[in-house]
Amino acid sequence: MSAKGIRGNPELRRGVGSKTTDSEKIMEDPPAGDWLALRSDQLLKWIDDAVYNASEATGMREVVDRVTRPIFNFAQRFSPHPLHFGIMCCAIEMGQASAPDHDIDRLGLVYRSSPRQCDVLIVNGPVCEKLRPKLKTLYEQMPEPKWVIAMGECAISGGPYWDSYSVVAGADTFMPVDVYIPGCPVRPEALMHGFLTLQKKIREKEPGMFLRRE
Amino acid sequence: MDFSDLHKQLKSMEGVSKVSHIRKNVIKLDLEKSVSKVFFTKLKDDFYFEHCSLITAIDNQPDFELVYHLSCLSGELSVDGTKMSAMVEVHIHLQRDSPSVDSVSDLWFGANWHEREAFDLMGIYFIGHPDLRRVLLPEGFAGHPLRKDYVYEIHEEEW
Ligand code: SF4
Repeated sequence: MSAKGIRGNPELRRGVGSKTTDSEKIMEDPPAGDWLALRSDQLLKWIDDAVYNASEATGMREVVDRVTRPIFNFAQRFSPHPLHFGIMCCAIEMGQASAPDHDIDRLGLVYRSSPRQCDVLIVNGPVCEKLRPKLKTLYEQMPEPKWVIAMGECAISGGPYWDSYSVVAGADTFMPVDVYIPGCPVRPEALMHGFLTLQKKIREKEPGMFLRRE
Repeated sequence: MDFSDLHKQLKSMEGVSKVSHIRKNVIKLDLEKSVSKVFFTKLKDDFYFEHCSLITAIDNQPDFELVYHLSCLSGELSVDGTKMSAMVEVHIHLQRDSPSVDSVSDLWFGANWHEREAFDLMGIYFIGHPDLRRVLLPEGFAGHPLRKDYVYEIHEEEW
């Protein structure tokens, strides 16, 4: 097979990378006959459905949503915990943003090292073909609600490596991106502005308690 | 052993040509591909070159060139009577249609990933390598991108 046409053919460019088909397989329902045993996720789903339907029928859903919306929104808006994950030079600026000069902690940002404790994924550098499945896994490990910030030209479009054979042309080609911060590198002030933009976006979205069904 | 003795001994070996000092403690030489395994084994066992610093591949169209940097850091070799680390720079020229050479990863374990990288980006095949897979690019990538004749569609749409 000639080297030509690799870029056009997503199957070839993906490589062993994306494991989505595998994870879908894991989440499949068990075969018939297994239904006698109630698994914990089925129990949770049953409780979830029961509570949701009951609250919907009695009109409690609207009430609870109205009450919890401002509280949830306030909490999410002022404590976006980003993942402490650096790819390339923009990660240095991310570190500088937490240093005493700019002190991004006063916006409520606390970097966490586990994706299970995070709300925001900052993509701060070029994503290689080999990194893409790993980054996707990190994103999938984060609990809902979650947001993605594309920091720097590399994460927006590939940046200086836009015509490379191994760099993905932008993070939004494989995951939903909420805020784009241009710059090469992004200044800490710009990162701060990006987080303020994200706060604005969260305020407009107004998630309540029954976020999942909307 | 003194470095000038090493120079003489290397010169007398089979398949070796163009032996020259490029610095006080660095010897550069050209090597035939067919005797590479014998030569490297002797270099490690008899001349104390116990460290493989680097293996790189160069695409001088139409041929490939492999460069091995092997160092002796233990001070067994002396340069002008002083104990000093020494280095041998081995160049092997390969044909473009059969870019393969014997692997040295059983002599120096550190050569393992260097050879995988040369295979990944330049398409040099190392015979006898335990695990010749791509190391920087994903599996299933077609072609070897650092070759000068590698083509990929840069941008399809006109600007
Ligand atoms: S956008 Fe510029 S500074 Fe940021 S990661 Fe890319 S090359 Fe580095």
